[in-house]
Amino acid sequence: MQVTRIRALRGPNLWSRHTSIEALVRCSAEECHVTGMSELESQLRARFPEIGALRSIGDQGEISIAHALAFAALGLQAQAGCPVTFTHIAQTVEPGLYQVVVEYTEEAVGRLAFELAEALCRAAAENQPFDLASALARLHELDEDVRLGPSTGAIVQAAVARGIPYRRLTDGSLVQFGWGSRQRRIQAAETDHTSAIAESIAQDKELTKKLLQAAGVPVPVGRSVTDPDDAWAAACEIGLPVVVKPRDGNQGKGVTVNIVARDHLDIAYTAATEISTEVMVERFIPGHDHRLFVVGKRVVAAARREPPHVIGDGIHSVRSLVEQVNSDPRRSEGHATSLSRIHLDDIAMASLATQGLNADSVPPKGARVILRNNANLSTGGSATDVTDDVHPEVAARAVEAAQMIGLDICGVDVVCETVHKPLEEQGGGVVEANAAPGLRMHLNPSFGKGRPVGEAIIASMFAEGDDGRIPLVAVAGTNGKTTTVRLIAHMLTLSGKRVGMTNSDGVYIERRRIDTGDCSGPKSARNVLLHPDVDAAVLETARGGVLREGLAFDRCDVAVVTNIGMGDHLGLNYITTVEDLAVVKRVIVQNVAPDGTAVLNAADPMVMQMAAHCPGPVIFFAREWLHPVIATHRAQGHRTVFVNGDAIVAVEGRFEYRIALAEIPLTRNGSIGFQIENAMAAMAAAWALGIAWETIRAGLGSFVNDAATAPGRFNVFSYRGATLIADYGHNPDAILALVNAIETMPAKRRLVVISGAGDRRDDDIRQQTRILGDAFDEVILYQDQCQRGRADGEVLALLREGLAGAKRATTIDAIDGEFSAIDSALARLTAGDLCLILIDQVDEALAHIAGRIAEAH
Amino acid sequence: MKNKDIQFLRIMHLSGPNIWTYRPVLEAWVDIGDLEDSPSNTIPGFYERLTAWLPGLIEHRCGVGERGGFLQRLREGTWPAHILEHVTLELQNLAGMKVGFGKARETSVRGVYKVAVRTRNEQVGRACLHAGRDLLMAAIEDRPFDMAATAERLRTLADNLCLGPSTACIVDAAGERHIPFIRLTDGNLVQLGYAAHQRRIWTAETDQTAAIAESIASDKDLTKSLLHSCGVPVPEGRIVDSPQDAWEAAGDIGLPVVVKPVDANHGRGVSLDLMTQAHIETAYAIARAESRKVIVERYVPGNEHRLLVVDGRVVAAARGEMVWVRGDGRSTIIELIDSQLNTDPRRGITEDYPLSVILIDEEPAIRLELTRQGYNPESIPPSGQEVLVQRNGNVAIDVTDTVHPEVCAMVCLAARVVGLDVAGVDLVAEDISRPLDEQRGAIVEVNAGPGLLMHLKPAQGEPRPVGRAIVDHLIPQSESGRIPIVGVSGANGTTLIARLVASLLHLSGRYVGLACSDGLYMNQRQVERGNCTTWQAGQRLLMNRAVEAAVFEHPAASILREGLAYDRCQVGVVTDVSGADTLGEFYISEPDQLYNVLRTQMDVVLSDGVAVLNADDALVVKMAPLCDGAVIFFGLDPQLPAITEHRAKGGRALFVRDGQIMLASGPNEASLAKLSALPLTGAGQPGQHTASLLAAVGAAWALDISPELIRAGIETFEMDQPVNPHFGHATHNH
Repeated sequence: MQVTRIRALRGPNLWSRHTSIEALVRCSAEECHVTGMSELESQLRARFPEIGALRSIGDQGEISIAHALAFAALGLQAQAGCPVTFTHIAQTVEPGLYQVVVEYTEEAVGRLAFELAEALCRAAAENQPFDLASALARLHELDEDVRLGPSTGAIVQAAVARGIPYRRLTDGSLVQFGWGSRQRRIQAAETDHTSAIAESIAQDKELTKKLLQAAGVPVPVGRSVTDPDDAWAAACEIGLPVVVKPRDGNQGKGVTVNIVARDHLDIAYTAATEISTEVMVERFIPGHDHRLFVVGKRVVAAARREPPHVIGDGIHSVRSLVEQVNSDPRRSEGHATSLSRIHLDDIAMASLATQGLNADSVPPKGARVILRNNANLSTGGSATDVTDDVHPEVAARAVEAAQMIGLDICGVDVVCETVHKPLEEQGGGVVEANAAPGLRMHLNPSFGKGRPVGEAIIASMFAEGDDGRIPLVAVAGTNGKTTTVRLIAHMLTLSGKRVGMTNSDGVYIERRRIDTGDCSGPKSARNVLLHPDVDAAVLETARGGVLREGLAFDRCDVAVVTNIGMGDHLGLNYITTVEDLAVVKRVIVQNVAPDGTAVLNAADPMVMQMAAHCPGPVIFFAREWLHPVIATHRAQGHRTVFVNGDAIVAVEGRFEYRIALAEIPLTRNGSIGFQIENAMAAMAAAWALGIAWETIRAGLGSFVNDAATAPGRFNVFSYRGATLIADYGHNPDAILALVNAIETMPAKRRLVVISGAGDRRDDDIRQQTRILGDAFDEVILYQDQCQRGRADGEVLALLREGLAGAKRATTIDAIDGEFSAIDSALARLTAGDLCLILIDQVDEALAHIAGRIAEAH
Repeated sequence: MKNKDIQFLRIMHLSGPNIWTYRPVLEAWVDIGDLEDSPSNTIPGFYERLTAWLPGLIEHRCGVGERGGFLQRLREGTWPAHILEHVTLELQNLAGMKVGFGKARETSVRGVYKVAVRTRNEQVGRACLHAGRDLLMAAIEDRPFDMAATAERLRTLADNLCLGPSTACIVDAAGERHIPFIRLTDGNLVQLGYAAHQRRIWTAETDQTAAIAESIASDKDLTKSLLHSCGVPVPEGRIVDSPQDAWEAAGDIGLPVVVKPVDANHGRGVSLDLMTQAHIETAYAIARAESRKVIVERYVPGNEHRLLVVDGRVVAAARGEMVWVRGDGRSTIIELIDSQLNTDPRRGITEDYPLSVILIDEEPAIRLELTRQGYNPESIPPSGQEVLVQRNGNVAIDVTDTVHPEVCAMVCLAARVVGLDVAGVDLVAEDISRPLDEQRGAIVEVNAGPGLLMHLKPAQGEPRPVGRAIVDHLIPQSESGRIPIVGVSGANGTTLIARLVASLLHLSGRYVGLACSDGLYMNQRQVERGNCTTWQAGQRLLMNRAVEAAVFEHPAASILREGLAYDRCQVGVVTDVSGADTLGEFYISEPDQLYNVLRTQMDVVLSDGVAVLNADDALVVKMAPLCDGAVIFFGLDPQLPAITEHRAKGGRALFVRDGQIMLASGPNEASLAKLSALPLTGAGQPGQHTASLLAAVGAAWALDISPELIRAGIETFEMDQPVNPHFGHATHNH
């Protein structure tokens, strides 16, 4: 067994909507039949009993070691606590070569699980030991390490439940919700509206107290102290008992409460100085610690917090009582569970000492022994939900505290006997206000029910019905993608939106190109969705990115598939047939939002069949208005777009809207067939987006398709009275479309300049010249910049083969270099001739042509 | 035994508008004893000693009204209290706290004076007052006085206590717009505006500056990747973990490179334009000393620029420049730096100077720069040889007017991507007046809480009103940052009036703060019992972000002791000028003196505000012209001359006619309510509350509370209605 390539599919993909690891696994003939391998299956089960049946339900096929690998990788993750269920094993055209797909929740965990699964399979095959426990521990630890913490996780879950897309911006807890101009950010329980000044104020306990006092919120009086003597003096001024705490601190570190004696105060002072150079002494407010969780102007959860403690049984020592408590499976190290372990550290010892005990004392039955004077879950405390008990006056003080400090999300620490009564009645007070408070005690309290605090935070960021999304159009197809994308973006721009667009020329934000080169992959799409100035996105979604990484978005509003035709790039990445290609291009259709729309070419059978996979409605388009698919769809009252007479018509039931082809310059008065199709696809997409018809008409009318705005997309020039057409067409369908378009243009003599890209199949390269040979008088062949793995001259030879038996071509020349080929063609032109130049290095070749035209003037 | 000494009987800081002036002053009561018999012209050498120590006194115009005025009075003969006033002012000026206002007044007791001096900081003021007394006594008694040490001590004190330059410029800009401010700490946390309309700043951070944005900005790598994703040009690079790794990264990125700490501040640990492995490895060590994480980046040639973005707009831009020395064949580089660069008067140690003094020991990057040129600090470059000392010296040359619009757009986008409302964007480019992409310029950093000094005191070019830009961002031009404030001064019925006005304001739907003799109230909830007519209690209301309107009661004593809690008010009410006989401790006994105290309330009424004055008290009526705003008179008798005259001029008044409260505007009048129907003035009530009721109604009227609401309010208000001691409204939504 050989694992040759591992990819992380980070979005909806060919196989499923799940994030998955995809690997190519090469198996020997023997390994293709696990049943035939003696003992392998039982060896696997012996090492990993939870591996399950090595096949999906209903799968009757042969089981290979690739199957074993997939189920092991899935099972290991599941056993380590990751909620994963999906796996798929696909046999490629090559015997013994499988594509193995296994869902993951964290990429790093998925990759490690794959690695460990491989080790497990080898161990089973070679009858070597496999340490399952350590493998699971590694996975579990890694998962704990990389996945979102409980607070951030809860907020993200709440967003997902509301249909709000999210993206982690770092390995930490910084998360983006929504897209483009509608995006918001959080970092743990901190939003992008949480003021830095407010956080600094909350960090400064004295200032906090001053401001809360100004707002009429009861607070414990106190002051900063300079040394233990001053602390004692302050304690005497304020009146015992007192609290000693660091001025800047969190999680209750260094805080000691209920101090009544000088020696205890000295210990407390030292503990506080370990956290901060400034120490405060305050009036001790008796009662329980409570945490009120405030979002905006509402208390959404409240918990009573108990310090870590044990109850004596008259038999066991404190030490063993702590051990007993720690054996509770709900107690773990860290933040993962509803309780944490109690530690018998110095602070616990000091606390015991104040109660006249040590770790080996045996407290009497029923005695409550406090091990630390603060109630944080992380130090072994517990939390009891008391949300429903909070008196409205107590809630009002907590909200006033948060508002006064200026925190939109705030954990207000209140000390009082009970939250059931107003603070003023019981001498309670607010002791602290915390920015970015932990949610754990409210989500998963030790006692009582969890509260939807993540939901409350999301509700404060996104109004009801707002999912943070911007209109998103994905465009796939073999030809016409880029022009369609540009046209849709143009119409969206006219409708008043700031448009982000990706295509094979670059990334554009509000018409400004921010990246160049082929940007039709998920990385560029993610960049558009991250950009703060984008109100709508139009994303060319090429096959490469879908195969490599999956989609950059969870769903789209409109998916446009222009055509599949004879296909392009066939033979790469185990996509060998047009059907395979259609499955890849179909991914965007499968991921249309339920209220979204697919725009599909009814005239292309492969595209037409995608309709069945669309969760939302479909708009079909085709040039022929009598096409059966169009006719049927139309008869059913659905939306269709087609050509009728001299106009493109959009029809839905009795509604009809016509735009004359003469009004659409792109189509050259309806003479260029493929541009009519692009216009129809874009028009249908705009219709699906709800753009006003007047805007759509204006968009089609004003769309300019010259070398500057759409380089390499049927750019027409005039040169010494001859017509030049430059295009980036590079597959048989594109060339056929070009030939059809050019045939309507009158010419004395027709020339074509062409190269072939090396990464196409031989026959696809021959096919291109086969088409051209029947339509052009003279053919100039050249080798392009990048031969993509082909030997020198190999592509030229294939191009020549395609010209054998050409019906029209009389002159065939091969020239070295794109620019020389262009120059050679230009030199031959006289007035009335037509020359199609199939350019390769788009920007450079267009610049070269522009230079020659300028010289001619 | 004659006592020739200056003794302080009492020193009070009047924190708000007071009998002397609108601004905070220090009021000292001094007893000069028998010095009363020793005016300045009678003490030999006194004038010379004093003017030698404080030559700046020549600028004091004093009552004479021209430069040298005070010195003229000194020569002619004036008394120690007056001299103390001027000496204290001058010492504050020397400490760097520019002040001009002062007054010295005799009291009714021989030798006892009240000296008032304007002060910008209580502690500095007190220190100057005490130092002034010592200086003055030394001059009188012809003893030595260490003037230099005193000035230095006071300057240090002032430096420690005053606002930093960035904060100060924002606060000053707010002042220009008449927006009040409150310092919330001894540091730079300042509140602009009052109560619910306040905004907060902390140096150049605002309360809209998001903590998340700050944490993004402080992570250079994250910032860069976000900016890059959004098409903002940045220098490519990556984090490295060893000198070897730094060299490898440089190989990937392409030379030359920059090596710097991930979270560097002020260019510390940053090395630029590195070409060799040795330099890169040395630079790694320098950067590593500043931070745990070190980054290697493409070196972007050009000058460093700092662009200040406020609220989506570039409001200032400054450029740094290369700093060179020229060899003379004799001096070492250190000496050349001292003689050619550090002598520049614009260079200094403190933040006040636009350029800093160059100290090689504190800037390892300089040493590296020299090493790269084959020198060390002790090298003696040949005559005429130029040696580069700093590639990017202080960024202090103003270039605001030359920034290309596309650069502005890019810089603002960078601030927006990070999420900062106020950002200092560091950008490297050859020429800021051209787009970045054509010169491969790049944004290298986005800073939260940027320093403003380089824009306020550029070494070259004009200062930019960056403080104003921040204030306008926080408080739009159309707003004042104020809430409606009602001040009630006088002796009779002021508590009732204050409570009644608060109740009417509450009824109009506002969260009301009330500070009166009964206590402190927030939204009708008593949060403090006892006398709360203090400055401190008033500040609590003005700091409270929930308070949408505030009412203050001011007995004369509290004005005398502390001044008013606010700088200006919407409505000022004065009931009467009586009770002068109770203010003996303030050396006040005559109604005219009391008039001077209570008129403070009139001085602070805003020009769009209203004075509500008792038409039945001649001294109160006399205050009317002092008010910048409109006047409403109230009185029981419609025929009071103040009322009839005011109405004749079209003014507003309210009074009682036929047992009804009448509201009158010029000749028109309308009945508001029948006195007999009101709990305060109805059957069985003594008549004493009627005037107070009129005053409160007048204030409510001045605040544009509708007559229907006022009527409803006074129909339900009872003098002794229990005020819920602690409970306000459980929830309140705006």
